[in-house]
Amino acid sequence: MSVLRLIGRATLLHVKQLSRSQFEIATALFVPLVQATLAVYLFRAGTEPHRLLEAAVGAGMMAVWSSVLFGSGGAIQNQRWQGTLEMLMLAPRPPALLVFPITLATAVTGTYAMIATLLWGGLVYRIPLDVADPLAFAVSVPAAILGLGMFGLLLASTFVLLPNANAINNTLEYPIWLVSGMLVPITVLPGWTGPVGAVLPTTWASRAVRESVTGSGPVWPSLGVCLALSLGCLVAGALVMSYVERRARANATLALA
Amino acid sequence: MRLLAVGGVIAYRALFNWTTPSMFVGTLLVGPLFQLLFFAYLGRQLGVADDSFYIVGNAVLAASTACVFGGTMAVSNERRFGTLGHVLLSPRPRTLVFLGRAIPYAGNGLLIAAFSLVVGSALLGLRVPLAAVPGLAVTLAVGALSCAFFGLTLGALGLRFRDVWLVSNVSVSLLLLLTGVNVPADHLPGWMRVVGGGLPITHSAEAARRLVDGDGFGAALPSLSKEAAVGAAYAVTAALLLKVFEAESRRRASLDTL
Repeated sequence: MSVLRLIGRATLLHVKQLSRSQFEIATALFVPLVQATLAVYLFRAGTEPHRLLEAAVGAGMMAVWSSVLFGSGGAIQNQRWQGTLEMLMLAPRPPALLVFPITLATAVTGTYAMIATLLWGGLVYRIPLDVADPLAFAVSVPAAILGLGMFGLLLASTFVLLPNANAINNTLEYPIWLVSGMLVPITVLPGWTGPVGAVLPTTWASRAVRESVTGSGPVWPSLGVCLALSLGCLVAGALVMSYVERRARANATLALA
Repeated sequence: MRLLAVGGVIAYRALFNWTTPSMFVGTLLVGPLFQLLFFAYLGRQLGVADDSFYIVGNAVLAASTACVFGGTMAVSNERRFGTLGHVLLSPRPRTLVFLGRAIPYAGNGLLIAAFSLVVGSALLGLRVPLAAVPGLAVTLAVGALSCAFFGLTLGALGLRFRDVWLVSNVSVSLLLLLTGVNVPADHLPGWMRVVGGGLPITHSAEAARRLVDGDGFGAALPSLSKEAAVGAAYAVTAALLLKVFEAESRRRASLDTL
């Protein structure tokens, strides 16, 4: 219970902190609107104008991934720049429990984008919010966000080991959008991308949300796979985080590594 | 000319002392290539346009990340690293100093655009006519230069506003939408086409598509001239803004305010 309380309170703290940044908020709100507009015009121009809601939801999921990628990828580095990394690591809790709320907060702030794209689609482009399974949608969006937050911990802990993590961060946005089928169906991609997409929580998260919107398939199995993969990422991320912390303490490089 | 060229090259080298080859490859080569693939597959699936439309358009657009952010960094990073005062104390014309910064970024953009075009074509099977290559090189160069001056205009705002990165991020995403690189212009509303006409990349993407279609340089020339005019307009705007904001920041003693 105290673990859940810690995660809840710390996530709220980091969401509040992220929400004070004009840059974060404006980026989380405006850039996804541009992407959603682009998606709407592309779908209208193409052969599938009836899939506009799917396009808006896909653009929202893309924005959640961008938020997790850039927020979680730089989570440790940001704490270092703020001078709070040492205090976090001194806390009498496993480091993964202290970093996970940060990555979860980046996913939660990504929901601003999801809400913004749906409102934008409804108000500006008159896209009716005809969700096939509203209950599944209401469950799958927060669950997908939780899953991406767990995936974020693996990113945060792995990237701290890599000297050029920023370069990877900047590279991973489009490939994950692509292989996860957030806007482009996986079926049109080369066959070898299938297995890559299948092991990513992002693929199952966007699939679950899309299925809840379109009713094209059972939501719960996709959501289950998403959460199972994400849990695996959480465990792997926690192990890597503990290793990184021990190494940084032993080498006295916490503020430098 | 010496001030323009040497100043620009030194500033460019200084920037790459801060960053690394992996950052260059990851952010400026691999990132735009995946962007090209993303839109090519999306366009293919939606049946909006053929692969050639997306490969050529996104290759021209690939220069924008380097040029827009480079141009922005050319001014705003001086402020961030506390060297803006030293630059402005220089007895040489600041307009030339800053306009010179755009040239290496444009060269960088040209390299990235050419890389994206070559690799994108190889991956998706587009055959570019050999006769079109010289014209394409000119087109990509003009597009990159125009984009760099656009970036410098945004960078000039960095003398006045603190969070110029927000403007750059939003501008780069707007280029995706408004330049007609990913959505054919005739599917965009009239006002978006008008705004897009005043942005870099729009006309050079059009010129590049004509060249790849084998229409010849003559057919591409009107669009290329428009792109050059857009670039020149941004160069003048950047010079004016730099002058105005420098004077204002001296008056308000806000030169190094972060």
